[in-house]
Amino acid sequence: MSELVKGDGRTHISSGLMRESLVSRRLLKETDSASVKSMVPDVNMICVGGRSIMDRGAEAIIPLVDTIAKLNGNHRMVIGVGGGARARHTYSIGIDLGLPIGGLARIVGGVEENNRDILQFLLAPHGGITFVKDHFQDLQLFLKNGMIPVCIGQPPYHFWEPPSLEAGQLPDNGPDTGLFLMAEVMGAMSVIYVKDVDGIYTEDPQKNPDAELIREITAKELLKMDLPDMPIERELLRTLENARTVHQIQVINGLKIDNLERALNGELVGTIVKSSRAK
Amino acid sequence: MKKDGKIWIDGMDNALSDQSLSGHAIREQLAARDTVAVLPDVWVIKIGGQSVMDRGRAAVYPILEELVAAKKNGVNFILAAGGGTRARHVYSLGLDLNMPTGMLARLGASVPVQNARMLQILTAKHGGIMCYPEELEKLPFFLNAGCLPITSGMPPNEFWEKSQAEGLIPANRTDAGVYLMAEFLGAKGVLYIKDEDGLYTDDPKKNPDAEFIPETTASELLNNGQDDLIVERVVLEYMMRGDHIKKLQIVNGLKQGQITAALNGEDVGTIIRA
Repeated sequence: MSELVKGDGRTHISSGLMRESLVSRRLLKETDSASVKSMVPDVNMICVGGRSIMDRGAEAIIPLVDTIAKLNGNHRMVIGVGGGARARHTYSIGIDLGLPIGGLARIVGGVEENNRDILQFLLAPHGGITFVKDHFQDLQLFLKNGMIPVCIGQPPYHFWEPPSLEAGQLPDNGPDTGLFLMAEVMGAMSVIYVKDVDGIYTEDPQKNPDAELIREITAKELLKMDLPDMPIERELLRTLENARTVHQIQVINGLKIDNLERALNGELVGTIVKSSRAK
Repeated sequence: MKKDGKIWIDGMDNALSDQSLSGHAIREQLAARDTVAVLPDVWVIKIGGQSVMDRGRAAVYPILEELVAAKKNGVNFILAAGGGTRARHVYSLGLDLNMPTGMLARLGASVPVQNARMLQILTAKHGGIMCYPEELEKLPFFLNAGCLPITSGMPPNEFWEKSQAEGLIPANRTDAGVYLMAEFLGAKGVLYIKDEDGLYTDDPKKNPDAEFIPETTASELLNNGQDDLIVERVVLEYMMRGDHIKKLQIVNGLKQGQITAALNGEDVGTIIRA
């Protein structure tokens, strides 16, 4: 695979993609694989809600931190966190100022860093450390030493955030999506979204007591239902549909303290959303 | 301070803090005002990897000469580098090893940085300076100092690059990175320098009957079922949703004068409109 090829004014390296534009649909199809490899497959990604957990303060955070500390010996975990009320405030001011979407995406992670630092501080006695982008490849070092890496969720697209698919001009990509994408490269065993509701309902349960809790659904079906509100990002569903190494996520109620352990043990305690690719 | 068990932000619209950001209502409520153009006088110009850099001196020197002359004539621009054959080689290797898209994006990011550094070395005497993603906020400084900022075209997605429905090759590569950077900057325009006059109905290097397309629209290109394109498909999708950059121009850097003509606002090469 290392021969140099000349003759058309360019110097190519002989490879399957030599001279290709990488845009051809036909070519792209040929680059698929049924057995995409995972980087750190025995890890679990725990995604802690900003608005749903962190904004509740000690009442919700301390029991969750205690649970994570207790589970650490038996489960390898990466803890990720969202922004919450301050992320909404950031967007509200940013939009009023006329910031472009890439500007909003660049600044919103700052408030997640607050939440990451809070969780890291609380988990530090049990091995909590901050886990930042540049140390992605050091993950095994942390896990093998029994540490609990804590990271932010917002993906680092920053100024390169694409124009949104959804209404308005907020970034489609938020912490739920960013943490899932990390989990996909890791090929994580499970991806669990810790929120303050029992899962995804057909309607807002606070407004309609007859709303039904969805137990299991595909991302495709859920997108099609087009619920007016959801505890997870819509972009997460689109991302899950195309993912190759992770085929499902679970949304659980983190205010019920046994749920995390049960979910880590593979139990259905909230809503499981599957990719249509899942077998 | 606490309402419904949550710590509130004083003075913030309750409806806003009470919904998840996935809610349609909140997204509509936060619909953007007219967004500011960050650097409206600056062009973003991409130098193709396979099409220009891999041709070496014969292509790169005259193109840089033309660009430096434009700069001396007062055209303000940022130069971004594509990847090229080494990116294709490392993607082949990664694909052979069944690596996920995020890993391929990480691997593919190294090559445009090499190319950007080559361009910086060649243009240093004219003010060429590397501008990494973390330094984008320093662009006003570089430009006001009369420098020629040079970036990698790749967006900083790396491990966070999403898998696509078909194929494992990252969808966001240097064309997309350049478009998104220009869109954020509200740039004056985006120019892609390649080794073809622009867009054809098929790859002109492989099909001599391919017909030249001087002007077209993003939706036409996305919907006509054409297998191959001269820009990454996501760029066409982005420009249909973008606020600022609704037009791209692709010129042949091997034909002297095309770059200058495009920077003077002439319709050379292919123009794609949203």
